[in-house]
Formats: sequence, structure tokens, C-alpha cells
Amino acid sequence: MSSQLDFEFLIDTFFVALSGVPIALLITVVAMTIALPLGFLLALTRINRLPILSQFSSVYVSFVRGTPVIVQIFIIYNSVPILLEEIFQKYDVGMKVYDVNPIWYAFIVFSLNTTAILIEVFRSAISTVSKGQLEAAMAVGLTTLQAFRRIIIPQTLVVALPNICTATVNLIKATSLGYAMSLHEITLRAQVAANPGYNYVEAYIDIFLVYLIICSLVEFLFKLYEKRLSKYKLVIA
Amino acid sequence: MEKYFDASYLWGAFPMLIPYLKVTFWVVILTVLFGTLLGFMLAAMKVGNSKIARKIANGYTTVLRCTPSIVLLFLVYYGVPALISNIGIDINDWDKIFFVVLTFTLQFGAIMSEVIRSAYESIDKGQFEAAVSVGLSNKQAYWRIVVPQAFVVALPNFGNALLELMKEGSLAYTIGLIDVMGKANLIIAGNYNSHALEIYIAISIIYWILSIAIEQFFSLLEKLFSKGKQVIKSV
Repeated sequence: MSSQLDFEFLIDTFFVALSGVPIALLITVVAMTIALPLGFLLALTRINRLPILSQFSSVYVSFVRGTPVIVQIFIIYNSVPILLEEIFQKYDVGMKVYDVNPIWYAFIVFSLNTTAILIEVFRSAISTVSKGQLEAAMAVGLTTLQAFRRIIIPQTLVVALPNICTATVNLIKATSLGYAMSLHEITLRAQVAANPGYNYVEAYIDIFLVYLIICSLVEFLFKLYEKRLSKYKLVIA
Repeated sequence: MEKYFDASYLWGAFPMLIPYLKVTFWVVILTVLFGTLLGFMLAAMKVGNSKIARKIANGYTTVLRCTPSIVLLFLVYYGVPALISNIGIDINDWDKIFFVVLTFTLQFGAIMSEVIRSAYESIDKGQFEAAVSVGLSNKQAYWRIVVPQAFVVALPNFGNALLELMKEGSLAYTIGLIDVMGKANLIIAGNYNSHALEIYIAISIIYWILSIAIEQFFSLLEKLFSKGKQVIKSV
């Protein structure tokens, strides 16, 4: 290992690492679009104590929060393909399991993971909105759906937003584990670029910088949105 | 499905994995020790008077919060020996646990600094002033009045940070540390990569039980200490 940094390699690999950003962001966006509504609905089942669903979601949350993401990735990555193969064979789908893009497994893992985290976020956020709000909304003649859309959800969102921001940043960071599924995102691309010359230090500095930039940007965007929403909060208060 | 999934591998994995919990615990204990120290230092910088120190501590926390553990782990594992070899010391063949603990100390310190700072700031300044006004010295006022109250506030966040640390610690296998996760990968390699699912389910159960135990322990502690808190409030 050379003790001097190879700056040319450092700059070249930075763009290699940057080319993995769209995949990382795609996973984040897909996982969030699935997890946000699902997390909200399951949080409602826990608050209303719906018989089976509420027990299910509490065990689910406890499992996902109690095990490392990497273990969850390995479990999905080792079980879903086997199931898929069975299904493909049964229905004669002319497709090999090994041709399935690993990004689909990433969607599954990260959606399941983020859903569990958002259940907890929404549960604590919904419980800060008082029951009187819903009753008042009903009393002036809104339907339940309207009451939730116009009254409850905006107030919940204000409270939940900082935690949703943390969850998003954690999700982006967790996509770096996609290399375990041979997913060509930021980390794996830079690692592969570093392999021929053993320039690992430079490669990891690049990866580090790329994550720093995206995560700071995401945090900044959430701060902006939070400001807009908290204006709205003043109106309520 | 039958020929892929064999429950006997699942049960067989537990006796092989559990002895390696020792390594996982050592990593966690050492990291908590050093990380909390670092957290105290950073928190002191954040609430201190020096503007530069505050900027440095806040910057450090932001940067560390935005770095995935695995990237930090590799950066430390490859970067620190390269850095130190410049002054002529070769630490390439030091035990891997050193790099793991160093990595997670850096990360845990950043998290703990926020936990400690928010706990410290949650205590009303009047508490300290009142303590000094009845004749306690500054040091006594901190140790007897402010710290015990801040400790109770910090407890749940500390529990969460500990849980995160234990879970993130599973990544240490990537640089070749043989802890529970590392052993699980060795077992799978020993089985010629078959029956990986059973082993991973076994390890997820181990982590799950540990997490529930830690969670229960901290909620118990919280109950124990918040009893005292109410007494303070009502007096």
C-alpha cells in the first residue's frame, strides 16, 4: 500500500462513485413511496388496536428494529430467489432466477425495513394529535377520509418530519449494504474500480465524500420543507 | 421447498454461534467506554464558550452522521495504517478488533455527544443557579444536581444508541473479525454455501433476543429512575 495518495485516481473514481448515485436514490425513492402509506396504515392499526393486524405489526417492528440490516438483506436474498424459482417452475415462466436484477431484492428489503421504522415514527406522531381534532372534524360534517386528509395528516406530518428525515438519511446510508446483493451502487462501483491497483484508501475517501454530499443535501431539503410546514403549524396554533 | 430448508441446520447453528457472542460483547463494551468519553468531550465543546470548538464539534457530528458505517469501517481499516506508516509505525497486522473498536468509537462518540448535549440542555439553568445559591461549589452543583437529572433524560437515547451500535457492529465481519456474524459466514462457507438461509435466521434470532433484552433492561432502568424524578418535581 502506498502511503502517498494517488490524486488522479482519487478524482477519476469520484465520478465512478457518483455514477452509482441514481441507483441509490432510486432505491430510496421506491422504498419511501411504498413505506410511507404502508407505515401510516399499520401505525393506525396499532393505535386503534385492530385485533390481528396490530399484533402482527408490533412483532414485525420489533423484529426489524432488533436485527441488523445486513442480516435482513441476507435473509431476503437467500429466501426470495428460492421461492421465485418454485413459482417460475410451477407456472412455466421462461425466466431464470439468476437473471432477476438484484435491485428488486433491494426494493423488497429496504421497503420492509423502512416500513417498520415509519410505523414507529407515525405512531408517536399520530398520538400527539388530540382525539378532539378528529371529533371536531366529524362534527362539522367531514367524512373520515376527508378528516384524515385535511386535518389529521397535515398535523401529523409536522411532528413526524424530523424523524422521517432521519429515516431517509439512514435509508440512503443503508443502501451502501447493497453490495452484499451485488447491486452496482456507489460503494460497489468504487470498490471495483479500486481492485486492480489496491487504491482502497482513495476509493473509500470518494465514497465517503459522495455520501456526505447526498446526505447533507437531503437534510437541507428536509429543513426547507420543515420551515414551510411549520409556518402552517403556526396557523393551526 | 423441503430440500432447501432444513431446520436441523437452524438448531445446530446456535451452539456454534453463541461462544462468539463474547467477541461481539467485547466490541460493544470497549466502544461504549471510549465512545462515551469522546461523546463527553464533544458535548463539552458544543456547550462551551469557544466558537471554534463548537463549530468543530458540530461539523464532526454532521459528517459522521452522514457516513455509512461500512464506509467508515473500510476507511479506518485501510486509511489509518497508511496514515501511520508515514511516521514509520507498521500497524497493518494489529488485531482487527482494534480497527473495529476505533471505527465504532468515532461513530458512537458523535451520537453520544448529541445525546449528552440534549440531556444537559434539558435541565433548567435555574437548577444549577439554585444549587450554587444554597452554597454548593460549582463542581458539587454539577455532580449532585445537574448530572443525576440529565442522566435520567439521557437514558432512553443511550439505550437506542447502544442497540444501534450492537446492530451496526455486525458489519465487522467485512474486515474479517470473527464475531457472531463472522462465525455465521464461516459456517456457511463450511457448508459450501448451502443452507445459508437457516444460519441467517438463527443469527437474526440471536440478535432479536439480545435487542429485546436490552430494550427491557433500559425501560426497567427508566422506570426505576423516573420514580425519583417525580419526587423532585412534587417537592
